[in-house]
Amino acid sequence: MVAKAGTRSSGNTFSESMRSFWKKNGQGILLPAIGIISFLVIWQFLSSTGITRLPAPSSIFTEKRTRELLFYPFLDRGGLDKGLFWQTLASLTRVAQGYTAAAIVGIGLGILVGTKPKVNQALDPIFQFLRMIAPLAWVPITLIALPNVQLAAIFVIFITAVWPILINTTVGVQQIPQDYKNVARVLKISPRKYFLKILIPSALPYIFTGLRIAIGLAWLAIIAAEIVMSGVVGIGFFIWDAYQQNYVSEVILAVIYIGAVGLMLDRLMALLQRLILPNQ
Amino acid sequence: MSPFVAIEQVGKEFALGSGERYIALKGIDLEIRKGEFVSLIGHSGCGKSTLLNMIAGLDLPSDGVVMLEGDRISRPGPDRMVVFQNYSLLPWLTVRENIALAVDEVLAHLSKAERYEIIERNIDLVGLRHAADKPPGQLSGGMKQRVSIARALSIRPKLLLLDEPFGALDALTRGNLQEQLMQICEESHVTAVMVTHDVDEALLLSDRVVMLTNGPESKIGQILEVDIPRPRKRLEVINHPSYYSMRSEIIYFLNQQKRIKQLRARKKGAIARHGLEKVNLEIGFVPLTACAPLAVAQEKGFFTHHGLDEVSLVRESSWRGIQDGIAGSYLDAAQMPSGMPVWLTLGGMDGKSLPIVTALTLTRNGNAITLDERFLTQGVHTLSDLKRVLLETADKRHTFGVVHPASMHNLLLRYWLAAGGIVPDQDVQVTTIPPAQMISNLQADSIDGYCVGEPWNVRAAVEGIGYTIATDLEIFPGHPGKVLGVREDWAQAYPNTHVALVKALLEACRYCMDEANHEEIRAILSRKEYLGVDINYIYLGDPNPMVCDVQEAPKEYAHHLFYGQGVNRPSRTEHLWMMTQMARWGDTPFPRNWVEILERVCRVSVFSTAARELGLSEITYSRGAIQLFDGVTFNTDDPIAYLNDLAIKHDVYMADIHLDTALPKAV
Repeated sequence: MVAKAGTRSSGNTFSESMRSFWKKNGQGILLPAIGIISFLVIWQFLSSTGITRLPAPSSIFTEKRTRELLFYPFLDRGGLDKGLFWQTLASLTRVAQGYTAAAIVGIGLGILVGTKPKVNQALDPIFQFLRMIAPLAWVPITLIALPNVQLAAIFVIFITAVWPILINTTVGVQQIPQDYKNVARVLKISPRKYFLKILIPSALPYIFTGLRIAIGLAWLAIIAAEIVMSGVVGIGFFIWDAYQQNYVSEVILAVIYIGAVGLMLDRLMALLQRLILPNQ
Repeated sequence: MSPFVAIEQVGKEFALGSGERYIALKGIDLEIRKGEFVSLIGHSGCGKSTLLNMIAGLDLPSDGVVMLEGDRISRPGPDRMVVFQNYSLLPWLTVRENIALAVDEVLAHLSKAERYEIIERNIDLVGLRHAADKPPGQLSGGMKQRVSIARALSIRPKLLLLDEPFGALDALTRGNLQEQLMQICEESHVTAVMVTHDVDEALLLSDRVVMLTNGPESKIGQILEVDIPRPRKRLEVINHPSYYSMRSEIIYFLNQQKRIKQLRARKKGAIARHGLEKVNLEIGFVPLTACAPLAVAQEKGFFTHHGLDEVSLVRESSWRGIQDGIAGSYLDAAQMPSGMPVWLTLGGMDGKSLPIVTALTLTRNGNAITLDERFLTQGVHTLSDLKRVLLETADKRHTFGVVHPASMHNLLLRYWLAAGGIVPDQDVQVTTIPPAQMISNLQADSIDGYCVGEPWNVRAAVEGIGYTIATDLEIFPGHPGKVLGVREDWAQAYPNTHVALVKALLEACRYCMDEANHEEIRAILSRKEYLGVDINYIYLGDPNPMVCDVQEAPKEYAHHLFYGQGVNRPSRTEHLWMMTQMARWGDTPFPRNWVEILERVCRVSVFSTAARELGLSEITYSRGAIQLFDGVTFNTDDPIAYLNDLAIKHDVYMADIHLDTALPKAV
């Protein structure tokens, strides 16, 4: 029956499939599109009436400098004068370094703290204290403590991202059901096997929650860090530089870049989580 | 040979948040033989899972030791594999990987091929070949539990521990799994301990059922041997003749635990008033026509009249409940079968002597022997007819029901059978069934007849299920039926209360004897809180003549005697006769110090005081020697010679029964 229907309508398969796609996803596309367009229209209106000094969204295309930045992201004139792609990549590299360090330290320490209640008791106050310190507050200290700005920026990423990973890992390890531990005890499973077959799989959902929160925080922190630590290539400093020279539409373009990259990072972690933990 | 598992004086305490300690288990002693299947049963919170965990080594006892083959258990190990209540499968591994995790770890000394072979065989054993590569999340509860069992069996544990393994499953799955588990256990001779709260499951699977009392300080209340032959089938075990008595034994135990909890919560100290030491009494009774004096004393205000303002009558469904209530001091006094005071005093209950005194006989007569209707078609009208039918059907097992080993029904039935040349426990079985369940058992053909008090004989006759072959008038006319019993220490602690209680009940007995009151009493008894049966089954005087019309010449029906000359005074002669009968059937030893025992049990002085104060001294008349229907006169001077002269009897033991000097003890 399906085959028959197929042959009859073979002439307009494409339009048919388009229609069914639209039927399924129409609302999901239409409503957000309406929302975004109305937002931009209102913004444009407000800017054109002069109520706010903020340039209209159309300025991204109308301003020459900004249009260049938009259309040539891979431009490299040496020094700090690079296209937005390179700026973003520089920031992302720092995030990757700091975040990797945070993940290694956070997961490792989290497992230690989660399995050893005494260590937990000893370290918990320090953790709770340190995690309350805003990323920006670390900047002066790290600039004094560390030899160069690059390393300082990476450290700020690290110190921001490590807490959610550490705390979620700890909880994940503590939350391993007593049943699983009992199975391990009765079977006298070796520590290595317990770690690989029971502890890690059981705590993994918690670890991923921590990692996902941390990637967002790390991306937030890099912008702040780069704004303060001037003189490095990076999207954060780019914004600061543009603001100093009053290129406001460049700032807006960079903000769009930041938002888009942050969104992509979060989706990437979600995808990774789905790939590794298909059942969760 | 030392036992396989030995649990010695094990106790377990838990620290409560408030710094107090909760004693969950205390003084647990249990030995488990190799190859045995033992169930632990009890209410929630009785510590049965804790006990299992201590055998597993997951939890350590606060006191005592648990030993496996002589080695103290101090930590968990694969030789004691646990099947957990919630399966405890690792959700990120497949069925095969879950089993492999255990096998690879525990049987690491085997080659890879051997381990593989074990894993595959165990997957097949529980029939999960089709699901071997699925994660547990895709399996049903029953399948998960099968994986859990396969994992446990695959590592060949010495001891299999199951913690409510089928608790979360639906009835059909549970039944199938029980059979599978039973089969596996029998094939591989596994020793197993299972925690359950399902009585039928325990009976089906176990060799022994260990019943735990309620916490705190839970202990082993009772151990039931399940002697149903193996291999067992789920649908066939229920046909085993002792299945229902074992089942009701466990259910009785569990209900009793629940009741004790309620009584404990209600229990308050003695309230002294009106010159009496205690006016708040809990008096136990079993719903029978013979409970009329208690019901009347309550309803007509005789208790209150004698100062006992706060009497509550506690309805027990069996004499076992009375016995346990008195032994556990939950009841102050109780209506008892006439043999129970002597029986408890001689250590009939678990071989421990519990001195009981009686100062009043509440009723006489009112009992009869009922046979299944089918004997009537075989022409059984007399005892010799019955013997003839029993001889003709010697290959069949015949069972008679009585209400308690110490009740007159048991003694009368056995005496009657023996007089006809039928040896109890050999030619016929005698089993204990609560009075109210006699008819349903007779109807279900699990018994062939019974000896019980009214209204259950009348009712069987009226409903055409059975017929009365003999009444007590034909066996032992005027025999004591029910007596008032209290603990000796209670009687010493509350002497004035005891007299007041006897006075109130004696007046009630007199009230019951007056025929003018019979209609009123029948109406009271038929109420729900007493017998709860149709008024037409309750007779205080002569019942419907149709009951005994199987005889060519209908005999006089032995109606209850509640009051009269020589009726109520406790008689040492009668108690001695009961003592000899219990010894005759090997139930209790015959005491060499029988004179002392009788003096202690029969409180004639309390009765005399009560009767005198009521102005009823004319009834304190002592009865003469006893003569029963077979013409044998009971000689009170030499009971031992009487026992020796009996032709049909079991092994008779003689013993000195040492009674503690009873000291007044507040209960």
